[in-house]
Amino acid sequence: MKKLLAILLTVCFMLGVFAACTNDNTPANTNEPASNNNNENPGQTQTNTPVSEGLDLSVSKEPKKDWVTYLTLANEMETFNILYSQNNKELRVLTSCIDGLLSNDNRGNLVPAIAETWGTEDGGKTWTFNLRKGVQWVNMNGEPMQEVKAEDWLVGLEWVLNFYKNEAANTSMPTEMIEGAADYYAYVAGYQDLEIPADADAATKEKLTKNYEDAKAKFEAICEKYDLEPVRLTADEAKSMDLTVFKQMVGIEAPDDYTLIYHCVAELPYFATVATYNCLYPAPQALIDQLGVDGFYACTNENMWYNGCYTITHYINGNEKVLTKNPLYWDTDCTLFDTVTYKMVESGDVAFQMFQAGELDYIELTESNLRTIYNSESNEFHDYIVEARPTKYSYQLHLCWDKRDENGDPDVNWNTAIANENFRLAWYYGLDATAYLARTNFIYPQHCANYCYTMSNLVSFSDGTDYTDRVMEKLGISPNGENYARVDAAKAADYKAKAMEELTAQGVTFPVVVDYYIQGSSQTALDTANVLKQMFSDCLGDDFVTLNIKTYISSVNKEVRNPQLASFYINGWGADYADPQNYLGQETYGMDNAYYSVSYSKANNITDENLIAVYEEFTNMVNAANAIVDDMDARYEAYAEAEKYMLEHALVIPWYKNVLWQVTHVNDYSKIYAPYGIQGEKFKNWETSVDAYTTEDYAKLAEAYAAGAAK
Amino acid sequence: MFKYTIKRVLQSLGTVLIVVSIVSLLLSLMPTDYFFTEEQLIKLTDKQKEDQLAAAGLLDSPIVQLFRFLENLILKFDLGTSRRIQAGVPVIKVIGDKFAISMRLGCIALVISLILGVPMGILQARHKDHLFDHIGAAYTIFVNAVPRLVSYSLVLVIGVKLFGLPSMYSTRHAVRSSILPIICLAMGSTASYALWMRRYMVDELTKDYIKLARIKGLSTRQIMFKHVLRNAFVPMVQNLPTSFMLTIGGSLLVERFFSIPGMGPLLTDSITRYDLNMVRGLVLLYALLGIFGLFLGDVLMTVCDPRIRLTGKGGDTR
Repeated sequence: MKKLLAILLTVCFMLGVFAACTNDNTPANTNEPASNNNNENPGQTQTNTPVSEGLDLSVSKEPKKDWVTYLTLANEMETFNILYSQNNKELRVLTSCIDGLLSNDNRGNLVPAIAETWGTEDGGKTWTFNLRKGVQWVNMNGEPMQEVKAEDWLVGLEWVLNFYKNEAANTSMPTEMIEGAADYYAYVAGYQDLEIPADADAATKEKLTKNYEDAKAKFEAICEKYDLEPVRLTADEAKSMDLTVFKQMVGIEAPDDYTLIYHCVAELPYFATVATYNCLYPAPQALIDQLGVDGFYACTNENMWYNGCYTITHYINGNEKVLTKNPLYWDTDCTLFDTVTYKMVESGDVAFQMFQAGELDYIELTESNLRTIYNSESNEFHDYIVEARPTKYSYQLHLCWDKRDENGDPDVNWNTAIANENFRLAWYYGLDATAYLARTNFIYPQHCANYCYTMSNLVSFSDGTDYTDRVMEKLGISPNGENYARVDAAKAADYKAKAMEELTAQGVTFPVVVDYYIQGSSQTALDTANVLKQMFSDCLGDDFVTLNIKTYISSVNKEVRNPQLASFYINGWGADYADPQNYLGQETYGMDNAYYSVSYSKANNITDENLIAVYEEFTNMVNAANAIVDDMDARYEAYAEAEKYMLEHALVIPWYKNVLWQVTHVNDYSKIYAPYGIQGEKFKNWETSVDAYTTEDYAKLAEAYAAGAAK
Repeated sequence: MFKYTIKRVLQSLGTVLIVVSIVSLLLSLMPTDYFFTEEQLIKLTDKQKEDQLAAAGLLDSPIVQLFRFLENLILKFDLGTSRRIQAGVPVIKVIGDKFAISMRLGCIALVISLILGVPMGILQARHKDHLFDHIGAAYTIFVNAVPRLVSYSLVLVIGVKLFGLPSMYSTRHAVRSSILPIICLAMGSTASYALWMRRYMVDELTKDYIKLARIKGLSTRQIMFKHVLRNAFVPMVQNLPTSFMLTIGGSLLVERFFSIPGMGPLLTDSITRYDLNMVRGLVLLYALLGIFGLFLGDVLMTVCDPRIRLTGKGGDTR
């Protein structure tokens, strides 16, 4: 009996576990179309002329029908909801699945997507988008669900602005740009009850009480403005909100199914470029009704709807995802892959092994792989390494004006030193970043050199001059491709001598200790930091500064930035829309939404009057430039002047841009080039070959692209 | 036995509850900054952060949070939804999807390592200090001495270059792509089973009853299989259910190496991403597996060796 019971128990348990273990392959979404099966050709489409046309390339003209790429496991998607995502982890995939109003071509120009035409008649205050007819929402299997209509953009924006639906994600641009959007957000979010901790001191009590009263007063003012009852919404009430109050408050309207009008808070000449960003993406109400608010928030590849070039037909978290061509995609003339497969890999080294085994169509090369291949002529990839185009990020040295030590006390030595303009200019003219750049691109390190705050190719003047070329012209910088063009040893030495004299008189001790933080577990970061340390020593001298490499565990924001422990950060900014305001606005003084000056530099804590004066002058220049809305050349000229002013006072020090090396089957010059927004990684109109491109091929393609031979 | 089973089950449930409560309370004490992603920390205002924390119930006291968790667990069997691993997806579904894959690969590897490891240990013991024993010892030393990542890389290179097997696991081509991970999973445990089997058997072979059996004229084969193996197998059997349970937990290293979407890295990922519901759910699962694995091990041991009794007082040899 004892044996029998024991065996039964064991067997039952094993069977239970096996039963739980059966693969739950949920059947594909087989919902019937809700309405409108219209699949007519929507008309105007976006196509690129093949970049390689007329060129004598070594690769086969046979394109790849299926594309296999990779991402490291740290880049796995966390959500499929494009309105909720604020992260490149998801947006790089979802941009191929859902189309917004506008997109970009391979030169960064704004091109139609769901909107066929668009424009403004009042200098940018009101924007009208005319949508193409017959565009379909489809399910995972490419079956039509319903037509894409203007109201979907209202539903999408309501979702973004409704705190209880979207948790405040992607609200910053709409609330800053669209009439009434900030009010709607504040109305739905309400305000927190006053809760004073029992152990709070008098100052804390006073602060909490004031915050509560301010929030309450703001809420009541909004309610009064829109004639609403001043009662806070519960989470359930907010989640069940339809468009009634939203339409009353927010400056967006859909006079008919194919016309969408935005009313901006002011003349915003660049607003159309915001329409490439996911904060202004559509959402079908029928899908939200079907899934429920919580279900839509947590939608999956199997139950979401698509209107983009691909649907995600297979997704295994941490393993792979397969995008399959949308058979009802509106742009019937574009070039798409049959399937795109993302393989999630542990590291770049594993990916390289997979590329060698022919399992991937593209590999980004680490410094060590690149050196191995480049230095060995017999290496199988020696003739196939090609330089990628710069990513959209412009990296800077962001200086911290209010650094603290680990006890929370101000680091007076550093704070005093960095407030001195001569000290900063010694860095600006003295630091030769070549060795640092070689960590990314040791073949052509100067291709990574960055001399502006704004990223190149963002906007250009009417005569075609790139905005950043104008900034460099004003700064007197002429890159020659061989040296780090900003460096001027004589000037650096002069500023260093002045700084040491002035600061010594102020009681600053030399060498000034500069704390620089890297992630403790990253050997690559440590190697790069050591290069940086050596560079500081070589360029500025050990008598002037000492770079102290420190480590954090997992979060630079939580462990370093919030407690203000670093002397400077190397960080990159990629634009969300096409205007220098999106760059320079992050460095202004006294503005709550100035990301870098508030969060990194702590500019609002500066006590040095000279430095405050410089910041105020720069901020005035930016605001003046932003006020110019009727003449874009004059606007960009004013921004260029402001940027020159900021850099000449070394409020920020431009550092590098990312130009990597790769072995690839795609011609990068045919891909969408998006210097802002989320369109850059869309798998559309890619020119590929079953053979990997050679170094020589890419040189021809780059030349042809630069010469404008390709459209 | 029935009474004993009920008692052990109740004790086990109590232990699980205590473990989960302690972990849950500790999680509530973590700084709330970790609730937000790096992007959210930068982009959200203080008020927006506070609103989110309040909506997630993280501004409540740890005790209130614990009771809410236990209430949902016991009354609704609801572990909540994941926040960062797969936003909004129920924890049970996230775990369920991964659990199946780890379990399948782990079980196959376990069976293979038992089939190879146990006979290998027996043969090593039978031919102690002879060629087969030395070969087995060399394999065991190699597997244990060489860092796992190096031996996995070796398997990967050989598998891919010589046999054209895929480098990473794919659910679409599960059979072919499972071969290399299973080899890697089985490699270590095969060596381990061989090592322990040999050790227990060699130990048994030195005992008096073996001498008696030889004197009585039993053949070596009879001695090895009827007496030595049976006795040596008892301590192995006790660990089998736990090994089986642990396959559900997956192997962090192998699963990372071959991009297997299993349970291996889930707990560490959930902790680093501050996905509290996931952490609670996983701790609950691992506690259950560990405790029931031990219980089943005890029960199996009594099946293999009737002299062992789980009931009765200490020192009772009846």
